[in-house]
Amino acid sequence: MMPLERWLIELLLNFVTREELNAFLRSPQNTAMLVGCLIAVSGALLGVFLLLRGMSLTSDAISHTVLLGIVVAFLLMTEVFGLHGDTSSPWLILGASLAGVGTVLLTEMLYRSGLVKQDAALGLAFPLLFAIAVILVSRYVEDAHLDEDAVLVGEIGLAWANTNSHCFANCESVTVAPDHEAAKFARQCNNCRELGISPRDERAVFSETCSNCGEYNPAQAWSAGLLEREPVLVFFPKSITVMLLLTLLTLGFVLVFFKELKLSTFDTGLAQALGFRPGALHYALMILVSLVAVGAFDAVGSILVIAFFIIPPAAAYLLTDRLAMMLLLSPLIGGVGAYYGYDLARGQLFSFIAVADGIAVLNRLFGLSLPEEWDSSISASMVLMIFILFLLAWALSPRYGLASTLIRRANRRRVFENQVVLAHIHNHQHTTAHDIELNVDHLHEHFRWTERKMSRVLTGLRALGYIRIIAGSAELTDRGDRQVHAFRKTMLEAHNIPDLP
Amino acid sequence: MPGARLSAADKRVWLIIAGIVLLGALFIPLSLVLFDLRFTYTVRVVALGGAILGLLSGVLGSFAVLRQESLLGDALSHAALPGVAVAFLLAGRELSSLLVGAGIASWLGLRFLSALLHTTRIKQDTAMGIVLAAWFAAGIALLAYIQSIPDASQAGLDHFIFGQAAAIIERDVTLVSAVGLLVLLLVALFWKEFKLVTFDSEFAGANGFRIGFINAVLSTLIVVTIVLGLQLAGVILMVGMLIAPGIAARQWTHKLDQMVILAAVFGAFAGGVGAVISALDSDIPTGPMIIVVSFVLVLLSITLAPGRGLVWSRLRQRANRRRFAAINTLRDLYRYALAHGAEDYPVPDDFIRGVRARSVESGLRQLRGAGQVMALGEGWRLTEEGIAWAREDRRNQRLWDLYRLYNDELGLPVIQEDRRLDIGAVLPAAAVEQLENRLEPSETA
Repeated sequence: MMPLERWLIELLLNFVTREELNAFLRSPQNTAMLVGCLIAVSGALLGVFLLLRGMSLTSDAISHTVLLGIVVAFLLMTEVFGLHGDTSSPWLILGASLAGVGTVLLTEMLYRSGLVKQDAALGLAFPLLFAIAVILVSRYVEDAHLDEDAVLVGEIGLAWANTNSHCFANCESVTVAPDHEAAKFARQCNNCRELGISPRDERAVFSETCSNCGEYNPAQAWSAGLLEREPVLVFFPKSITVMLLLTLLTLGFVLVFFKELKLSTFDTGLAQALGFRPGALHYALMILVSLVAVGAFDAVGSILVIAFFIIPPAAAYLLTDRLAMMLLLSPLIGGVGAYYGYDLARGQLFSFIAVADGIAVLNRLFGLSLPEEWDSSISASMVLMIFILFLLAWALSPRYGLASTLIRRANRRRVFENQVVLAHIHNHQHTTAHDIELNVDHLHEHFRWTERKMSRVLTGLRALGYIRIIAGSAELTDRGDRQVHAFRKTMLEAHNIPDLP
Repeated sequence: MPGARLSAADKRVWLIIAGIVLLGALFIPLSLVLFDLRFTYTVRVVALGGAILGLLSGVLGSFAVLRQESLLGDALSHAALPGVAVAFLLAGRELSSLLVGAGIASWLGLRFLSALLHTTRIKQDTAMGIVLAAWFAAGIALLAYIQSIPDASQAGLDHFIFGQAAAIIERDVTLVSAVGLLVLLLVALFWKEFKLVTFDSEFAGANGFRIGFINAVLSTLIVVTIVLGLQLAGVILMVGMLIAPGIAARQWTHKLDQMVILAAVFGAFAGGVGAVISALDSDIPTGPMIIVVSFVLVLLSITLAPGRGLVWSRLRQRANRRRFAAINTLRDLYRYALAHGAEDYPVPDDFIRGVRARSVESGLRQLRGAGQVMALGEGWRLTEEGIAWAREDRRNQRLWDLYRLYNDELGLPVIQEDRRLDIGAVLPAAAVEQLENRLEPSETA
C-alpha cells in the first residue's frame, strides 16, 4: 500500500503544495468527512445490488461476524506473531473478510439442512459469532483501538491520527546502534524478579540495555531529534488509503460487471442459461461486502456500517426505476449524508439549523435543563443524516413519495367519484324515474354518501361544465355526455369488451 | 392429559422438559457439591432474573420463530436503544421508566416499519434494516450526548448495549416477574388465537378472528419481552436470546404446546446459566454468554433431536444406502442370470463390479452374510434363498408396474405408491388377484 499512497501523494502534489496537503489531512474534520464519504459511496454501490436481490440483511450478518474475523486476526497478529496490532493492515482485512464470506456459507448451509428457516438461520448465526467476538474483546484484548466502544461506533474522529509518513526530500533513515552517539542506556536488573530481591541486594546482576536502539524512518528520526535538516514529509491517514482502494475496487467491479450484475440480479435463471455464472458473481459480491465492512470497521464500527449498505439504496429505490440511475443516486445520497453528518455531530443540521436551538426549545417547552451543547458520535450522526435524507426521499419522491402517493390517491378517488355520478345521471336522465333518481337534494342517498360529499362532487362537476341543474334535477351537458361516452369507450377497450350494438 | 395415552414422542419431550427443569433447579446445589462454588446472594438474584427472562423470551420467541419473524426481533431490540436514552434524559435512572422508554421506541420502530411497508415498494428485510440502523444510530448519538453531560449519573446505560447481569437487583427481578406473569397470562388467554394466526392467518381471518388486533397483541408482547430482556442480553444480542430457545425446541416436537414449554425451559436454563457465569467473571458481558449457552442447546438439538436431528437423519441415510446396495446388487445378479437362461447362472465378477462401481462391495458382503449369494471363483451365483427372494421381488415390482398402469381401468383402491412395500400388504387380496391376472404367462411361472 505504501507505493500506492506515495503515487497518490505525488499526484496530489501537482495541484497543491505540501503544506496545504498536510494541513488538510491533519484536520480531523476533513479526514472524517473523506473517510465517511468513501465508506458511504462503496457501501451504497454494493447495497443497490443487495437490495435488489433481497439480501439487505446479509450485510447485517456479514458486518456482525466480520468482527469475529477482526478480533481473531488481531489476536493472532499481536499474540502469536508479535506484530503491532493494526486494524487497517491488509492481512487483517483479508482474513476478516474471509470470516464474512464464511458466515454467508454457514447460514446457507444451516438453512439448506432444512431444519432451520432462512431468517432463523441468519438470526442464529450472527448473534453467536458476534457474541464470541465480544467475549474475546472484553476478555483478552487490551488495546485502545479494539474495545467495546470501538466495536459500536468506530473512531472516525481519530482517523486523521493514524498515518503513514512519506518522505520526499532530505530523507535520512537512522539506525541507532549501541555505538551511536544518540543511544541511551538503561541499567536493568536481570534476576531481581526471579529471585524476588530488590535491586539494592548484592546478589543482583545488572546489564545495560539500549533503550532507544532500532530503525528510525525519517519521520520518527525527525521527531526523536536525530536529524539536523527537517525532512520533507507528508502524513497520510491509513483509513483514507484503505477506503479509497476499496471504493475504487467496488466501482471497478460494478462498471466492469454491470451487464452481468444486472442480468443475474433481475433474472438469475436467464443468466445461468446464457452461460454467465451467477453463483460466482454472488460470492464476488459477498467478498466485496465483507471487504468494505472490514475496511469501514475502524471508522464506524461493526453495526452502524449496515446503514451505509441499506439506507442509501433504499432511498434511491424510492426515487427511480432505472438501475443505472439508482447506482448514481445511491452513492450520492450516502456521500451527502456522510458529509453533512459530520456537521450534525457538531450540532449543525444542514448548516442552517443548530441542534442547540432545538434543545433550547425542548428545555423551554418541557421545563427541562438539558445542556445545549451538542457534541455527539460522528459515525452515528452520519447514519442519522443519511436516514434524514431517506425520509426526505420518502416524503417527496415524485413517483413513490408519500406526498405524491397521497395526491395520486386523492386524484383517483375524485375521478372515480365524478365518473360514478356522471354514469348515474346518464343512466337515469330522460327516463320516467328522472325526478326521483336525479333530484339534487336526495342524490346522495342513492350513493349512501354524506350530503357534503355529494355537494362537493356536484360542485366540481358543474365547475367542469359536465352537468347543469335544472329544476332541482341534475342533467348532463353535451360536454358531460361526450365525457361519459369517451370514458365508457376507453374502459371497454382497456378490458377488451366488445361494445353493445 | 389425563386419560389420553401419550405417544413415545410425547413422552420423550416431557421427559426432556422434566430433566432440564430438574437440572436447572439443582444447578446451584450441584455446583456447590461438584465445583465447590458458593453463590452469594447477588448471584442468586441474578440467576433467578436470568431464568425468568429466559423463560419469557423462550415462550414469545417460539411464536417469532414460527412466524418467520426472527429478524424482526433483531430490528426491534436495536430500536429500543434511543428510548432508553430519551427516558434517561427525561426521567433519570429509574429502571421502570427506562424500560417504558425502550418499549415506546421499539413500538415506534414497529409502526414505522409497517408504514414503510404499506406506502412504498420497499421489502420487509430492507425496511427492517433501515429501522434497525437508524434507531440504533439515534440511540448511539443520544448516548454520546449524554456522556458529554458533566456529572450525569449515566454509568450503567451502556449496559443496555451488551447487557450486564451483575447490575440486576432484587427490585428488578420483582418488576420483571410481575410484568412477565402478565405477559404469560395474556399468552394463555390468547392461546387459540395466537396459534391460529401463526399457522394459518388467512383461515383465522375467514373465520372472523380480528387478525390485525391479534397480530398487534402478539407483536406488543414480543416488544415487551424484548424490552424486559434488554438489561440482561443487551440490544444487539437480544435476538439470539429470543429465538434460540424456540429454534432448539422446534427440533424436538411438532406440537405447539410442547414447543412453547420446551422453549421456555431451554430459555430459562440458558438465561440462568449464562447470567451466573457472567456474574462470576465481571469481564464477560452477560448477553454474549447467554447467546453462547443457548447456541449450545441449539447445536445439541439440531444434531441429536430424534427424527429431525442431523445424527439421526445421517444414520437413516446410511442404513438406506446399505439396504439399497444389497437389493440392487441382488437384482443385477438375477437379471444377468435370467438373460443367460438360468436363474443360477454364474455372474462374472467383472460384470457386477462394472455395473455398480461403488456400492457393490457393501452389497455383496451383505448378500453373502445373508446367504443369498455364494462366491464362485471369478464370479458369483445366487443361492436358493437368493433366487427365492429375487423372484418374489421381481413379481412384486411387476405388480406395482401393473398397478400404476391399470388402477384406473380396474377401479382399484387408490394408495400411495411405495415400491419398498409388498403390494399384498397394502392392497386387498382381490385387487392383487386382478393384477396377477394381467401378468404374462412367463412371469407367473
